[in-house]
Amino acid sequence: MTSILHTQLEDIDSHEVSACDSGRKQNLENSDGSEIFLVESISWIVESKTILDDISFSIKQGEFVGLIGPNGAGKSSLLRCLYGKNKPTSGTVFFREKRLQNYSRREVAQHIAVLVQEPPTQFDLSVYDVVALGLIPHRPLLSLASENDRQIVQRAIQKVELVDKLQDPFNTLSGGEKQRVMVARAIVQRTQVLILDEPTNHLDVQHQVDVLKLAKEMQVTVLLSIHDLNMASAFCDRLILMNEGKIVTSGSPQRVLTQQNLKEVFNISAQVDAHPFHLGNRITFDFGLDQ
Amino acid sequence: MKLNFSVFVIASVCLLIFSIMFATSVGSVQVSLDNVFQSVFVCPHRPDNCGVEVLYQKIVWQIRLPRILMALLTGIGLSVTGAILQSITRNPLADPYLFGISSGSALGAVLVIWTVSSSAISITLGALIGGISSVLLMLTLAGRSATQVERLLLSGVAVSFMLGAFTSLVIYYSDPETASALLFWMMGSFANSDWGDLPLPTLTTFIGIALFVVYRRWISAIQAGDEGAFTLGVPVNQLRLAMLIICSIITAVLVAQVGGIGFVGLMIPHICRFIVGSQLHKVLFMCITLGGSFMIWVDVIAHSFLEAQVLPVGIVTSAIGSLFFFVILKTRSRI
Repeated sequence: MTSILHTQLEDIDSHEVSACDSGRKQNLENSDGSEIFLVESISWIVESKTILDDISFSIKQGEFVGLIGPNGAGKSSLLRCLYGKNKPTSGTVFFREKRLQNYSRREVAQHIAVLVQEPPTQFDLSVYDVVALGLIPHRPLLSLASENDRQIVQRAIQKVELVDKLQDPFNTLSGGEKQRVMVARAIVQRTQVLILDEPTNHLDVQHQVDVLKLAKEMQVTVLLSIHDLNMASAFCDRLILMNEGKIVTSGSPQRVLTQQNLKEVFNISAQVDAHPFHLGNRITFDFGLDQ
Repeated sequence: MKLNFSVFVIASVCLLIFSIMFATSVGSVQVSLDNVFQSVFVCPHRPDNCGVEVLYQKIVWQIRLPRILMALLTGIGLSVTGAILQSITRNPLADPYLFGISSGSALGAVLVIWTVSSSAISITLGALIGGISSVLLMLTLAGRSATQVERLLLSGVAVSFMLGAFTSLVIYYSDPETASALLFWMMGSFANSDWGDLPLPTLTTFIGIALFVVYRRWISAIQAGDEGAFTLGVPVNQLRLAMLIICSIITAVLVAQVGGIGFVGLMIPHICRFIVGSQLHKVLFMCITLGGSFMIWVDVIAHSFLEAQVLPVGIVTSAIGSLFFFVILKTRSRI
């Protein structure tokens, strides 16, 4: 099983695109563990309701960090603070040692790619068009689409293996294919950071794994919110566990995903042991059903 | 089967040129296509080679061309603004009259006719002022919620009904002669167009189109979704507001000249998307050629349907347009 996965991984790796290569090089150069995000006690209060409460953490260059917690814990709100959509009521977000609010919107888009879930629209763009949107932060308004641009887009679509769907309307794709298109858009956007808001929602197991692998292969700093704790344990270098707008704990999956934490935060009994296929934890929930 | 976009470009440009030539030749006095061609391209430069009677030249230059160009411009302007509004609001029902522009213009025109005089120039001015104030009113009333698409659309509808009520009130209390003049104006007509009316609508329409082309990528990003557009560095709310204002200005200028002509701005963009897909530059191009051609044909039919009488353009547009649209809807859904 693992060996099959590995060969697949290598296979995809050999298709590595140059758009990704530059990101990887930067990544290797800066892999001294410098902090790319530094969040200093941010709070976000809307209509006197505290959504985020005094949150501090940092993310190092090249880390793959998972944000976990129950619905309404504030995961999406926190992610939105990190890409500038939400302005924290107090506290500061530093991105590469500079306040995030001091970056222009365009600069943020050049450094941070975001995958969000959006409702489908009537005016359907093709797969190619959606991926090409990733070029926006890097091109002046008046420029025409060049051959080089076309190649960048094509290669990204190859990378996510959707070449045969190039001209299909985006809305006709399956959930998994849509997420792969969004990953291709992020590849085209050529950023150092990738933020994903629940990228595995509504996907079957295989497509969940696909999307997370693609994110991992981009070799950039990744921050994602995710509900499947076993998946989080397998893919993430570090987990941040949130509840009611606060960080409960953070650290390696082994440290965060303990029986006690799961009982406290998710209010569910679970057994945690070693995973048979990888180094992380395996969580088996007790659903409270009678035998 | 998907045909290449360039095929549609060539076909629709040919259609447009043919429409202009044909419309210039037909009417109460038939002018042959050859004579039309000569009066337009030969006679102005080389009067010696010109074999067309002066009367025909006058019919072509002074009566038909300004009318046809106004129809062309109206078709282009309303279709293009419709396409842009539908994209930036992601609402298939958006049209250039979304923000009560037509009711605002109607109220302006009605007030002018009612209070001041009935000379055409002041009606145009009144309609222009009315149209632009309706947009300002809508934006003021929407206030901070103008950043949310749904609220923006709803306040547009509210303003539209409010101004419509005032217009009806004025018509109710005016004498029959004024009322019929008002109704005729509201149904739209190209009949009063002359060369002097053309520069302002031409300028606004083409400056608007140039801006749409410049911002086409940002508009496409908004078309795909607000949050995604934001993460790509697009200033979503500012861009949407700017585009709304540009569309409103184009519409107000056109409506002031020709009256309220429905259907075109709503349906032509959909027809164009049926044909070439949703890419903005393709849709815009098709809106220019098809929207323009459509309006010219509407004008031809309005002139030739009844003998010695011109039907109001608005009636023809809606009647033919909706039939045409049903046909397309039927054939497309069968595929």
